[in-house]
Amino acid sequence: MIPTLGHSLILLSLAAAAAGLVAGSVAGFRNSREAASWARVMAGACAVTLTLATLLLEWALLSNDFSVSYVAQVGSIGTPPLIAAVSLWSSLDGSMLFWSFVAAVYAGVFAWRTRHDEPGPTGWALAVQLAVLLFFTMLVAGHSMPFEAMDPVPSDGPGPNPLLQNHVLMAIHPPTLYLGYVGMAVPFAMAVAALASGRLDASWTRSLRAWSLWVWAFLTLGILLGGWWSYEVLGWGGYWAWDPVENASLLPWLTFTAFLHSLIVAERRGRLAITSLVLVMLSFLLTVLGTFMTRSGVFNSVHSFTQSPIGPAFLAFLSLTLTGSVLLLAARMDKLDVRVGPRPRSAAPASRETAFLLMDLVLLAITATVLLGTLYPLVNQALTGGQVSVGAPYYEKMNVPLLLVLLLLMGLGPALPWGKPNSRMALTRLVPPAVLALAVTVAASLAGLRNGSVSAAVFLCTFAAVVSLAELAALVRARLRAGSDPAPIAVFTGLARSPQRTGAHLAHLGVAMLAVAVAFSSAYRQETEITMKVGETAQWNGYSVGFVGSERVQESHRLSSRASLAVFEGSDDLGELVPALNSYPRMAQSMGTPAVLTRPLEDLYISLVRVGPGQVSLRVFLQPGLLWIWIGGLLMVLGSLVAALPAMRRRRKGQEASS
Amino acid sequence: MNWKVLVAGLLLVTPLVWVLATGFGRDPRAVPTTTIGTPAADFDLVTLEGERVSLSELRGQPVVLNFWATWCQPCVQEHAGLQAAARRHQPKDPEGKGVHFFGVLYGDEEEAERARAYLARAGSAYPTLLDTSQHIVVDYGVAGVPETFFISSEGTIVYKHSGAIGRSQLESILESLR
Repeated sequence: MIPTLGHSLILLSLAAAAAGLVAGSVAGFRNSREAASWARVMAGACAVTLTLATLLLEWALLSNDFSVSYVAQVGSIGTPPLIAAVSLWSSLDGSMLFWSFVAAVYAGVFAWRTRHDEPGPTGWALAVQLAVLLFFTMLVAGHSMPFEAMDPVPSDGPGPNPLLQNHVLMAIHPPTLYLGYVGMAVPFAMAVAALASGRLDASWTRSLRAWSLWVWAFLTLGILLGGWWSYEVLGWGGYWAWDPVENASLLPWLTFTAFLHSLIVAERRGRLAITSLVLVMLSFLLTVLGTFMTRSGVFNSVHSFTQSPIGPAFLAFLSLTLTGSVLLLAARMDKLDVRVGPRPRSAAPASRETAFLLMDLVLLAITATVLLGTLYPLVNQALTGGQVSVGAPYYEKMNVPLLLVLLLLMGLGPALPWGKPNSRMALTRLVPPAVLALAVTVAASLAGLRNGSVSAAVFLCTFAAVVSLAELAALVRARLRAGSDPAPIAVFTGLARSPQRTGAHLAHLGVAMLAVAVAFSSAYRQETEITMKVGETAQWNGYSVGFVGSERVQESHRLSSRASLAVFEGSDDLGELVPALNSYPRMAQSMGTPAVLTRPLEDLYISLVRVGPGQVSLRVFLQPGLLWIWIGGLLMVLGSLVAALPAMRRRRKGQEASS
Repeated sequence: MNWKVLVAGLLLVTPLVWVLATGFGRDPRAVPTTTIGTPAADFDLVTLEGERVSLSELRGQPVVLNFWATWCQPCVQEHAGLQAAARRHQPKDPEGKGVHFFGVLYGDEEEAERARAYLARAGSAYPTLLDTSQHIVVDYGVAGVPETFFISSEGTIVYKHSGAIGRSQLESILESLR
């Protein structure tokens, strides 16, 4: 019953995507309102059918219906409901369906929000989104069909991958990252639509910016939660390993960040419009490359779903989108009628334009080094047949200087005025933050900071943070001077009146926090291994860790061995930490769950290595500043949402006024 | 048409696609298995029917060990192929040449009960050994089920297959064993 229904829904969505692709293209070619509304209806139909299909698979997972192939593959009677629900994305077939579902919902929402817009460009944009969706639903309908009927119906299944059963973040990290990854198709489609229809105007870029800020927020949050998950689950004490799949998510983030900044230059100064389109297309292509990395089985990674038969299909899709994008760009870029921002004017070397341009270049350079490091094992294997892996030292050596330059530009950009500022004006804006940053750095070095890169990060981040805080203060001050609001309200209204600037500077403050925290945690992380008997206490770095006892707990899906540790700092009782080792008999695999004590300045992180009768072996890490990575990251996300939300609202008002 | 952009774009795209394409057919996780070419660890286990079997007593005859479990889908898929191959290669008489097949089940008595029920339903041409201690899993470096080990008549592990094994592949490995 469920297999048949699932099959039908997927075939329906396939048909709707194909029909919508045709209708959207016709709308694009002929600027036909009727064809565009058909494309919208079809996008809606895709959204509805794929939502139903996803709910159906969820239902099958939650009710342990082993007649459905995907449930037989990842389900198990003992699996708790939350884990059963999130196992939708724990394996290839389900994740492909989820992927299509997200893409369809995006297309549906896009169709709805652009319902009053001109049919030509929106038709193209829908056609591109539905083409991408068509590819994914074809995979779901073919190789990755999660709704195959099982015969005979097994009585139980193996349960999902233990890695995915260990932490609640598995319920939010993948969907968030998917929202970012899949959502990238929307800005891409809008860029393609601009090239195809030969026109890029201010309302299109405004809408492009709003969509992009949402997608950027999801992508950033997804990457951040991935790091957090890795930290809380994998037990090696780190949050970023330069794993091919982590890199795969970072690559589009870098180019997309460059795009958001170029778009500002395009809107404010009438320059870099085509660069922005290229960057947006590149970001989408990198997400397709990233998906290929995760799903093809070509790369070795925690995330790869081994040896999947859809690899070649993905490569074909990647080649097609890459070649298509190059062809489209080459054929149409010189004919593009750009009506964004004022007439381009020349700019001085020391201007905001220059800082933005340099920032784009640095972000592209980082993208290139990360891409090279990720692909190098493959290149080497193709040329010499040997197996190599590129590790953290390469990435750190290459990227730390570039990242420091990026931080410098993050401070310089907003501090420098647009156009041709006179040097006195530029100096008055640069000198005070620089002096303040220098004071902070000197104070830090007096307090014992000796590491060169960390000191540089402290200086540059303080500089950028002061610049951003000054910008935010200027917004509030202008409101206070207007005198219409009392002081506490003026803080809010002052910031709310310029959501784009407020959002940008909140995000910059987040980056500054995150960068300093990353610098400290990389440079001053300490670790040790402790073995002790029940009742013993180990002293390390001012902490004392006492082994109270261990227990084994049989849960429905795993056997968990836990050690109770009493943690003190001096005489302060910091509570009990309980790291665990979980074994999943059905997967013949065991996984640790580290225990983390998060404090404002440092984390005490303990993972269980071995637990025997009356004895325990622990790996203990001290991670300075970790909390600020998460806070800084969340501030970046908040910043982009602040910049996105009101921009969308304003746009709707504009439409109502014009209609 | 902007030819510079076209040529530059294609110059970037072509090698990238080529490099990615070369990645197929290679297993990025292929770590040379240390067990291949080494003497197979001896075991002394009891079948689901209660008969004792030890590997050392089978010396002089090739042995196939198939690690499986009742809840594992690929194991169910490969079951019929393995049965057919076992029937084809079974020793004609107690002293004759042939290949000995064994299933290996690691788990508790409950899993053994499920396995007996499954085999009664799906048919079985060879005995399945039960390892409740799971020592054999460690000795053979089994990472998951199904895995199939091929042991030569001299007692050396000559091949290991992870995942469901196909009939033709099974046949060609068995031919090389004899």
